[in-house]
Amino acid sequence: MLIAPTVIYYCFFWLRPVIVSIYNSFKGVDGSFTFQNYITVFTATSFGEVFANTAFVAGFSIVIEFILALALALLINKKFKGSAIFLFLAMIPMAIPAVGAAAIWKTGLTTHGWMNSLLYYFGILAKGEKIIFLSGSKFSLLWIIIFIDAWQVIPSMMIILLAGLQNLSREAKEAGYVFGGNGLTVLKQITIPMLKPTIITAVILRLISAIQIWLIVVLLFGFDRIPLLLERVIYYKEEVSRLDNSFQLASTYSVITSVIVTIAAVVYLKVSGAFNKNEGEVI
Amino acid sequence: MWKNTVSKFAKKTLFYILITSIAIIIITPLYFLVSLSFLSSRESYQFPLPLVPAISSEFKLENGDKGYLLSIYEKRDKEFQTLIDTGNIEKISRYMKTQLNVNVSIEELENYISKLEEQNEVYFKSYKGLLHNYKTFFAITRDAVPALIRSLQVVGLTILISLSIGGMAGYAFARYVFKGKNSLKVSALFVRVFPTVAIAMPMVIILATMGFYDKPIGLSLVYSIRIIALTIWITASIFLGIPVELEEAAQIFGATRLRTFINITVPLALPGLAACAMYAFIESWNETVSAIILTQFNPTFSVVVYQSLLDASAQVNLAASGGLLMALPMVLFTLFIRKYINQMWGGTGI
Repeated sequence: MLIAPTVIYYCFFWLRPVIVSIYNSFKGVDGSFTFQNYITVFTATSFGEVFANTAFVAGFSIVIEFILALALALLINKKFKGSAIFLFLAMIPMAIPAVGAAAIWKTGLTTHGWMNSLLYYFGILAKGEKIIFLSGSKFSLLWIIIFIDAWQVIPSMMIILLAGLQNLSREAKEAGYVFGGNGLTVLKQITIPMLKPTIITAVILRLISAIQIWLIVVLLFGFDRIPLLLERVIYYKEEVSRLDNSFQLASTYSVITSVIVTIAAVVYLKVSGAFNKNEGEVI
Repeated sequence: MWKNTVSKFAKKTLFYILITSIAIIIITPLYFLVSLSFLSSRESYQFPLPLVPAISSEFKLENGDKGYLLSIYEKRDKEFQTLIDTGNIEKISRYMKTQLNVNVSIEELENYISKLEEQNEVYFKSYKGLLHNYKTFFAITRDAVPALIRSLQVVGLTILISLSIGGMAGYAFARYVFKGKNSLKVSALFVRVFPTVAIAMPMVIILATMGFYDKPIGLSLVYSIRIIALTIWITASIFLGIPVELEEAAQIFGATRLRTFINITVPLALPGLAACAMYAFIESWNETVSAIILTQFNPTFSVVVYQSLLDASAQVNLAASGGLLMALPMVLFTLFIRKYINQMWGGTGI
């Protein structure tokens, strides 16, 4: 009885819009059933770029963030003076709204922003010399996105992993050393496998949101400079909303994004073996 | 022995260097957001940008070609720099207010000018209006104040909806055994995998037919979808931690099911419920994508800041003020919920 409200709520506000969204993506301008929207999206030259950009940003940011966060968590894994303050600091970047983060980096990366000012104060930049961050090559812009994302995500991912590390039993690690393992083998054979549930949680949450990065990109570079999957949805919905089929195209892109996110999440869970265990433990 | 102490000391030092540098990397961008939001328009056009915003400025007033010549003392160059030369006192006052964030009334200026008859130069020091940029931000952005109120409404409604619906389901998952319990629980999570935009797009029409489009309640309904899923998971684990015996005892003493729930279960679950509420706060305050799609004339605060940032002509200091206004509640919130976040991730309270 008590779950009835949830079920009704989800049928009405989740299942229904999802179905409508899929329906819209198959609807032509004249209201008939058609694959035209998908054909338009997939055959457009921009789709390859959109997909490549998203994959590049999501892929590299997750790998880099995870490796750095794990390394830091392993290094920090102990109580120290001021750890409470440090952990509080580490939680801040993730809590900052995307709009706030965009304000930070927009003011930082403009030619007379604080990044250039700071480099100047450190004597790295000579007088009159400035790095033009925001209008570099596409490749460098993608790395800027990854860098900003890393700043936001690594600290909190580190906290999640730290929490996981603290829960591991000391005995297992000690046993590993007793049986002649060195630091690296203990890490590979004992610590990481035991940490797996935590790692899966941290990475899956990241994966889902990394594919959906768009706001910071639009605020830094404007629409259309670095097209991403979700950026396209907003682009068709808000920027070029006058086209006959812009609503359909936006729907199509949102369905494609959903499918890609779902596939990525399921593939990741399959590969990491999360399904082998009790499903309830996934997150 | 001695060697050992040295290597131990070196290790400790290295450890603290690592910790400090991470902390610095985290803080620097945040520091600049705060610092920039207090810069005057004039300062924000300088390069390099001042590391610390000036609190007060020293001015020099003298007779100029066109009337009165106002200069400001530049600490960096250790000299006075000309600002404005005009006979119009009102213009000087306005210039100081808009460009320098300094409030000097016309009477005060007239007072200084009257002194010019006796001496060649008049020096005076004025303090910067610290909140000037914030006032300007609210003044120039279209309906920022109503948007702020709407954002708070959205937050309140979202907490109400997601806690009541999600809490109920969480209680059911914790207390009762029923068919399909596990698959239901997993599907509650699958809801989060699906991007919010995909929901928001068709929601435009659905909410419009309900009369909720462009209203806070409409946004809350959409936000709750994602939050309910997490609320179920968190509350289920909280209710599991409360012994059934306590509830049964209350019922033996004649309390009804509802009274037991309100008087025994809810107070015990309060910390966890608070964590859920705070989580709902964060998600609904920060959310921008759906808010852009689902509002038209009544945007939320995040949309207002988004638009002011998208506007290329926006000044650095105003952009920073807007960003800080968005970020500040969240930073304060983190301070309060850090205990719960650790609990949520199953941490032992590091």
